[in-house]
Amino acid sequence: MRINDLVLGLVMALLGAITVWASQDFNTLPRQSFGAGSFPILVGSLLIFLGLLLALRSFQQHRVLFSWQGQISLSHTLACLVAVVVAVAGYALLTPILGFPLVEPVMLTLLIGWLSKGRWSLALIIAIVSTILIWIVFAQLLHVPLALGILEEVVY
Amino acid sequence: MAALTDALAMVFTWEVLVVILGASLFGLLIGSIPGLTATMATALLVPVTFFMEPLPAISAIVAATAMAIVAGDIPGALLRIPGTPASAAYTDEAYLMGRQGKLGQALGVNLACSVVGGIIGVAILAFLSPLVADFALQFTSDEYFWLALLGLSCAVLVSGADALKGAISMLLGLLISMVGMDSVSGQVRFTFGISDLMSGISILPVLIGLFAIAELLRRLPEIGMSSLPTPPPVDKPFQGVGRLMWRYKGGMARSGVLGTLIGALPGAGADIASWINYALSRRLSRTPEKFGTGHPEGLVAASSANNAALSGAYVPALVFGIPGDTITAIIIGVLMMKGITPGPDVFTADATLVNAIFIVFVLANLLLLPLGLLAIRGARHILSVPQSVLYPLILLFCIVGAYAANNSMLDVWLMLGLGILAYVLVENEFPIGPMILAVILGPVVESNFMRSMIKSNGELLTLFDRPIAATLGALALLVWLALIGSSVRSVWRSRTTTASP
Repeated sequence: MRINDLVLGLVMALLGAITVWASQDFNTLPRQSFGAGSFPILVGSLLIFLGLLLALRSFQQHRVLFSWQGQISLSHTLACLVAVVVAVAGYALLTPILGFPLVEPVMLTLLIGWLSKGRWSLALIIAIVSTILIWIVFAQLLHVPLALGILEEVVY
Repeated sequence: MAALTDALAMVFTWEVLVVILGASLFGLLIGSIPGLTATMATALLVPVTFFMEPLPAISAIVAATAMAIVAGDIPGALLRIPGTPASAAYTDEAYLMGRQGKLGQALGVNLACSVVGGIIGVAILAFLSPLVADFALQFTSDEYFWLALLGLSCAVLVSGADALKGAISMLLGLLISMVGMDSVSGQVRFTFGISDLMSGISILPVLIGLFAIAELLRRLPEIGMSSLPTPPPVDKPFQGVGRLMWRYKGGMARSGVLGTLIGALPGAGADIASWINYALSRRLSRTPEKFGTGHPEGLVAASSANNAALSGAYVPALVFGIPGDTITAIIIGVLMMKGITPGPDVFTADATLVNAIFIVFVLANLLLLPLGLLAIRGARHILSVPQSVLYPLILLFCIVGAYAANNSMLDVWLMLGLGILAYVLVENEFPIGPMILAVILGPVVESNFMRSMIKSNGELLTLFDRPIAATLGALALLVWLALIGSSVRSVWRSRTTTASP
């Protein structure tokens, strides 16, 4: 997924400008001209300079703004990207409500089943076994409070 | 002597030994699978090490990375696909040896030379680190500021062909490192009102996002696009290996030493050490024409160098707290999570721990022989693990791992966001190494600079008052001039290229 360096350079320069702007009001140390804003302003200024340099370099090369290279289709790559985002977002949003033991097997089954092109029974078995193993390692041995969600009332 | 005895007692406990064995097997699995790197193995291990004592935690990372680098040679020799970037320099050579019926010998050379290189690296690490640490005890915030800045700058310089993109990647890392409460003034910065960000962005979601999620996003679409061929069987892995090692003993020793020194340079890791030593071995060879045809000489040199570089990277990491590569950046993060700040004081305050780390290095390298042999024998099975199963499991591990450090869903979101950012950057040829080094070194650079300014009442030139600081400062400024010069030159070149018909 090639994004033109002109776009990336301008985004970086903009990020640098926001950093400099957001750091203006940070206090300096007593009797000093330096403070919490000095370093962010320096980093932001460098980001503006180097971002503009990147943009200028790319501007002279007259390349397309966006191009797709490689043998794998853009739609398939985007589908994989969306799958990962949905899986992580699903975990973050649903686990506190439904609980790790319910969300994880579903997420893993769907992901493995989709990626293995329909081997759903294999996906289900692996999902259940790995959820149990992760639960034992993290929740039981390492005492990470993986959420039980609605199962909390059932367990306790 | 007492420190050594204490260190031995620390290492030879069931906990540490089991951790070393388990982590080695984990590194073996990750390294053997093409596309998964030693850095990814380390990033995935960190959530588990978070719950361990410092020594088992470091042992796990040392053992896993050494094993992953060695295991990365296996798919290279079997299928011409390097398991990790550190094996890429000599993949063709090992594969072509296999085509000549010397597959076992190629893998045996990889394994044995890795062990020798690793041991040379540990010897130099154990000898050099205390000496440099003694010297570094005189350092003040001035020297540390310049040293950290020099480390960052060198990391950009060696990160790839495009220094401009490397520098931007580093600046993004510095931005990440500035989130939270400033350690000197106590000012809260860039938290957007989120109280969980007051203590800064935790290193764990950053590591997992940059190295595991980004890699997953790159690898997932490739599933099912091409299937790995069945690897050929490996016969007699150590036949003729001793004879070859003896014949090329000079190159092996040179590569071990040079690999360690390259590893000690900030940003230059095992892969760069491997490429340089392969090229050097070819240049110094009496039969350079045989290189690229399945000749073991380059294999001997590069295999020794990449494992030696792993140890070399620990010299600046332990002595100055300046990471030599991405893996030691992670190690420093782990040590800091455990309340140990790497630096010259560690050699006096935690001398037993430092000695124990050296012993772990030796153990992990010696373990390479039996476990590496096991990996060679079991390569067919490891390579048959379906990626459609493996990658979702890695994703689950990433999510739970990111959550585990602070029990915070914010870390899971940060991991995802940084993973997508790293994916976009890598796809557009921005190196990620400088970013993670900047996340670790950003607070070191800033806090030492502020301390120096407070001491000198804001006089910038006092940063050059002390001779070592002045030398380091001049070097850092030279590197920055070179970086900016190279960036401006690249703009100029692109203009003249476009202008010419």
